[in-house]
Amino acid sequence: MLKFNLSNHLLVGSLVVIVFFVVAPNLVSAYRLELLTIFLINVILAQSYRLMATTGDWTLCHYILMGVGAYATGVLAKMAGLPFYVVMPMACVVTAFVSLLFAIPLSRTLGFAFFIASFALGEFVRHVWLKFHYPFGGARGINGIPKLEIGQGGEWYFIDFWDSQNFYYFTLIFTILALMILFRIDRSRLGNAWKSIYSDRELSESIGIDVAKSRIMVFCVSGFLAGLAGSLLAYQIGSIDPHNFEMVEMVYLIIWCVVGGVKTFWGPLIGVLSMSVVFELTRPLAEWRPALFGLILILFLVLLPGGLETLPARIRAMLNKTSKQREAG
Amino acid sequence: MTVLLELKNTSVFYGKVRATSSVSISVPEGQIITLIGSNGAGKSTTLRMISGLERPQEGDVLFEGQSILSLPPEKITGIGIAHVPEGRRVFSQMTVMENLEMGAYLRSESKEMARNLDLVFSHFPRLKERVGQYAGTMSGGEQQMLAMGRALMSNPKLILMDEPTLGLSPIMCQEIAGIIKEINGNGRTIVLVEQNARLALALAHYGYVLDTGEVVIEGAADKLRENGDIQKTYLGLD
Amino acid sequence: MGVDTIVQTFTNALVLGSIYAMVAVGLAIAFGVMQMANFAHGELFMAGSYVVFTLYTLVGIPFLIAVILAFPIVAAIGMVFERLIFRPTRGNVLAGFMATAGAGFILQVLVGQQWGVGLMRSIQTPYPGSTEILGAAISYQRLLIFPATVVMVSGLWYFLTRVKHGKALRACAQDPEAAVLQGISLNKMTSLAMLLSGGFAGVGGALMAPIIPVTPYMGHTFAVTAFIIVIVGGMASIEGAVIAAFILGFIHTIVTTMYDSVTATMVGVFFMALVLIVKPTGLMGRVKV
Repeated sequence: MLKFNLSNHLLVGSLVVIVFFVVAPNLVSAYRLELLTIFLINVILAQSYRLMATTGDWTLCHYILMGVGAYATGVLAKMAGLPFYVVMPMACVVTAFVSLLFAIPLSRTLGFAFFIASFALGEFVRHVWLKFHYPFGGARGINGIPKLEIGQGGEWYFIDFWDSQNFYYFTLIFTILALMILFRIDRSRLGNAWKSIYSDRELSESIGIDVAKSRIMVFCVSGFLAGLAGSLLAYQIGSIDPHNFEMVEMVYLIIWCVVGGVKTFWGPLIGVLSMSVVFELTRPLAEWRPALFGLILILFLVLLPGGLETLPARIRAMLNKTSKQREAG
Repeated sequence: MTVLLELKNTSVFYGKVRATSSVSISVPEGQIITLIGSNGAGKSTTLRMISGLERPQEGDVLFEGQSILSLPPEKITGIGIAHVPEGRRVFSQMTVMENLEMGAYLRSESKEMARNLDLVFSHFPRLKERVGQYAGTMSGGEQQMLAMGRALMSNPKLILMDEPTLGLSPIMCQEIAGIIKEINGNGRTIVLVEQNARLALALAHYGYVLDTGEVVIEGAADKLRENGDIQKTYLGLD
Repeated sequence: MGVDTIVQTFTNALVLGSIYAMVAVGLAIAFGVMQMANFAHGELFMAGSYVVFTLYTLVGIPFLIAVILAFPIVAAIGMVFERLIFRPTRGNVLAGFMATAGAGFILQVLVGQQWGVGLMRSIQTPYPGSTEILGAAISYQRLLIFPATVVMVSGLWYFLTRVKHGKALRACAQDPEAAVLQGISLNKMTSLAMLLSGGFAGVGGALMAPIIPVTPYMGHTFAVTAFIIVIVGGMASIEGAVIAAFILGFIHTIVTTMYDSVTATMVGVFFMALVLIVKPTGLMGRVKV
């Protein structure tokens, strides 16, 4: 008999999910496939955002960091004409570097001030894109980012990632990689040290964790992965402009993390998945849709703080309570 | 002697941690009752529960024979219970006068307020000299006086005092103690929480000793003063 | 730069600083009492503009009365925010802040569905013409904003230092628990704070309605600046907010005159980052938030 334990469970579960994503291109239409690709990019984004949130630092600039990755990709691929295997790592490093520049002043603030100051710094960067026509293209942004390809037409190893199916697999590989890295961090001593900052700042300082340095480090790692998401996005849509990275997008990212929760590794995944489904299903609502998502955000924060990931524990607690009451009564 | 306030088997939990356990206290009208005990014994918690800042999970609190458990803290102030909180907690960026006005928030009818103000100034002439000064710029003892004066502005029947002499100079302690006696002499009932057990027992009529959330000894203050155990543990006598 | 340019820039800065002050003061009041951080403050500003659009342009009520009516109408929205969002999330600043982001979405959609999304509503100015001061032309409409702010802010100051409930509001901001022990109801005070906060944002938006394009999304830029101002000023400090508002007003106007508005926003943000590094509590802040 198979031993029933959690790690087997997880392994089987992840395998099922991976198999689904591997065969998905054969099951869905091209349009749906594009959505699925965006979904994978969003998974990277939400998961990297969660890394920040584990230290208690919620930022309002994560979308901007994604934008930094996208802009770096645009500039390096279009202007410098570099191939993707140079562009993508560089885009991630550039984003991590910008994150470092953000993190230094931000690490002097806490909680709400941190949140709002990160917003202002993000706006600064967005204005940099708006202001400088060279190299960022001002309000029009960067169009015609070269497509991603390996080799050249005719060569036997040529792969054209303009093809949605190919690009989908490309994104899938990076998503799995990013998730594996984040999962390892989450279970590592380093990850636990970061989480302890959230639960008790002073205590973690007293046991030798350099809180300021850790917060800066998390910010950079999180930024690095946001840069990856941005780079993938830039290659996927082929053109970017400052409007792609507005506050509204940041609010949606927050909605995913609030709906799913950020305490466990699975929270943001649940959040992105459920909200992406709701997003697609509510297309007929058209202009009313933001109001629905606004309402979802309010309802979760007021009625289910902690998100969907806390739902099983809540239900269990409720059942326990009622059964106890029944025993008593 | 009528009982003004009565605690019946009250227990307060912070989450799952029991802060006080089955505390029963009876406060007769016109007396000073003291709760003594070491840090974390549950004295402050008991006071905070009386004024509604904490809710007991078990037991009942009766004021003038009526349960006050369902009242929010601001209503409890309204029925005549004033709380001088630990650490004074004066409004530091407001003047002395404004602090006193806040004490009279529920008794702001001008005649009544003038009467209460006269009373406060008769107990604390020093406050009268400083009506325009910002509370945050005053000394600890003066702030304590202000906190007590602020409580008196609501013309309470019962005053809860949490560590009124904490951190004060010995002379200032004597002065505050004298005023507590004076206020009680005017017919106000007082529940006094003190770490300075010697002072508390000198002032009070009756005392309760709390240890890890439970009442371990109770009795008339002069009896407690002579109790060997208490002398050893709380009065520092051998 | 001639005298006329200097005068022009100075008055423009004064006007801009005034409007910033009105918006930022509202944020500071709400944050001061139980740390209510309103993400949708810009949407309250927008609502004020639409009150003027509806009552003045569509219904035909005199402009000044429409502006005055913006106060209670938008204050009511603020109080709804308090009751439905801030009260249940009390003690968790970020939760309240994020939830009001959702409320901002809802307001934008409601206004957009009622009055149109893409259309910019331009509101005819009720006070055409301008006056000339030392060669600089300043429109009456703009000129109105400075005295209006002076009246509003002095009114607020009077309320907070002379009126019982205003003093109670300050007491609550300094020490909520001690305030409760004086018989002050926390719920009433948070409600009052959001009333004032909404009212100020509403009047600000109402006064600006004839000057700037009115759209459901117009609040965003003002909200960003207002948040920068309260951070620079020290979050809960009303004096700090007023001072920082005029500093930012001058920075924005001068940089816009010399370069462009995008650069002005960048300089403003940079200024904020500088203040955070040098003095994380803000100019007038006493506590680190």
